[in-house]
Amino acid sequence: MASILQRQKSSILDRPLSKGKAEVNLSTFALLFSEMVQYCQSRVYTVPELQNKLTEMGHHVGVRMLDILFLRERTFKREVKLLNMLLFIKTNLWKTLFGKEADKLEHANDDERTYYIIEKEPLLNKFISVPKDKSSLNCASFMAGIIEAVLNGCNFPAKVTTHWHKGTTFMIKFDESVIARDKTVDGR
Amino acid sequence: MSGSYYFVIVGHHDNPVYEMEYLPPSKANDPKKDDHRHLNQFIAHAALDLVDEQMWMTGNMYLKIVDKFNEWFVSAFVTAGRMRFLMLHDTKNEDGIRNFFQEMYEAYVKYAMNPFYEPNTPVKSAAMDKKAQTLGKKYLTG
Amino acid sequence: MSRQTVRSGDPRKVSAELFTLTYGALVSQLVKDYENVDEVNKQLDKLGYNMGIRLIEDFLARSNVGRCHDLRETADVIAKVGFKMFLGIVPTVSNWSPSGDEFSLLLDNNPLTDFVELPEGQSNLEYSSILCGVLRGALEMVQMEVNVWFVQDQLKGDNTTEIRVKFIRRLEDAVPVGED
Repeated sequence: MASILQRQKSSILDRPLSKGKAEVNLSTFALLFSEMVQYCQSRVYTVPELQNKLTEMGHHVGVRMLDILFLRERTFKREVKLLNMLLFIKTNLWKTLFGKEADKLEHANDDERTYYIIEKEPLLNKFISVPKDKSSLNCASFMAGIIEAVLNGCNFPAKVTTHWHKGTTFMIKFDESVIARDKTVDGR
Repeated sequence: MSGSYYFVIVGHHDNPVYEMEYLPPSKANDPKKDDHRHLNQFIAHAALDLVDEQMWMTGNMYLKIVDKFNEWFVSAFVTAGRMRFLMLHDTKNEDGIRNFFQEMYEAYVKYAMNPFYEPNTPVKSAAMDKKAQTLGKKYLTG
Repeated sequence: MSRQTVRSGDPRKVSAELFTLTYGALVSQLVKDYENVDEVNKQLDKLGYNMGIRLIEDFLARSNVGRCHDLRETADVIAKVGFKMFLGIVPTVSNWSPSGDEFSLLLDNNPLTDFVELPEGQSNLEYSSILCGVLRGALEMVQMEVNVWFVQDQLKGDNTTEIRVKFIRRLEDAVPVGED
C-alpha cells in the first residue's frame, strides 16, 4: 500500500549552520579523492582533459565554501580589494580546508594581472601516485578549481591553472577589468 | 501603519533567483497583485546598476538604501558570493531590513550548500518560503 | 578584521566540510553522467568497494585490532573502531536477526549528508551507498563476504539511517578479485 502519511522531512534550513570545526581522518578523504580522480579519468582521454574535469569538481566545492566562510565571521563584510581577497584565500580558505596557510603568495614581476599561490606539498598530491606516462598530471587542479570558483564567485574573475614548479604553483590570471577596477576601489 | 515589501535575490546573470512579497493584511488580497509584482521586478532591475557601483565603495554587505522610485525605496545587500539581495519598501525600516537580509543570507547559504542546487538557478523550496514569511513577520512590520 | 583559525591543524585530519563537499561534487557529477539512478547507486557502491579494499590496511595497521571470532565482535569493531576512525562517528549495532547472521548499523548523524537535501524525483538515489561498498570491500579483505544495503535513510524522511549487513560466507584463502 502506498504510504498515506506524508513523511515529514526535516529541511536543511532547520539544521544549524556548519561551524567548520569538524574533521575527518585524512585517509578517508585521501581514498575518496583518489577514487574521484580515477572516476574522472575513466570519463576522459587526455591529461589536460582530466585536469579540467578535476577543476570542474573543484568549482562545485569552491562555490559552496565562499559564502559560508564569510558568513561564519558574522561581521557581514565582503572583500573589495584584490590583494585582500588573495590573502583571504591564502590564509582563511587554506586554513579551513587544510589546517594551514598556503606557503606563499607572489605577484608576477612582468605582469600585473598574474599572481601565484605556491604550495610545496599540496595535501591533494600526497596520496596520488602519478603514473609515469602521465607525469604532467597534477591533481591539485582540484584546488585550482576551488580557488577559481571563489574568485569568480565574488567578482574577481580569473583563470587558475596548476603547474609543477617549486612544488605546485597555482597561477592566477585576473581579467583585465579586475585590475582596472581595483585601482579605483578604496580599501576602506 | 505597516508598509509593503518586495524581496528579491538576483543572481550573477541579473536573473531573479528568489522572490517574496510581504504585504500588510489590508493589501494582501489586492487583485492587482500580479501587476505590482511586474512593476516591482522592473524597479529592482533598474536598481541593479547602482548596486553594482556601490558594492565596490564599501566592504559592508548591507548597502542600505541605494535607489528611490516613486513611493518605493530600494535597499540592497550583497553577499560574499555576489548574490544581490534587494528589498523594495514604501516605509523606512533600516534595522528591520538589515536583520531580514542577514537571516535570509544564512538561510540561502544553507540551501545553496546542497550539492543538488545549481548556483544561480531559481530557489524552489517550501522551507525557504516559510522562513521568508517568518522573518517578514518578525522584521518587516515597521 | 581578525580571523580565527577554526581547526586544530592536526596533519592527520582534514576538514569535514572539504570531505562532505567533495563527496557532494562526486555524487552530483555521477547524477549528471548517468541517466539512471540505479546506475549511480551501483557506481557509488563500486567506488566505495575500491576504497574499502584499500582502507582495511590502514585500519589494521592503526587499530591493533586482532582477529574477530564471531560476527558480533566484527560488528562491534566496525562500529566502535572502524566508523570512529574513518568518519568520526559511532553507529549503534542493533536489530540482530534470530540466526545471528544479520545486523544493522544505526547512524544518527551521517557526515556525508551534512548539507544534503534530495531533490524531487531523486527519491531512489542511495546518496550514501558508498558506505555499503566500503564495508563490503573492507570485509572481503578479511575473508568475509557480506551483502550491505540501506534500510532507512534520514535523507528520505526516516527517523534514523540504518545500514543492514548480512553475512554470506567466509572466503577460504581467496585472493580478493578487484572489481572492474
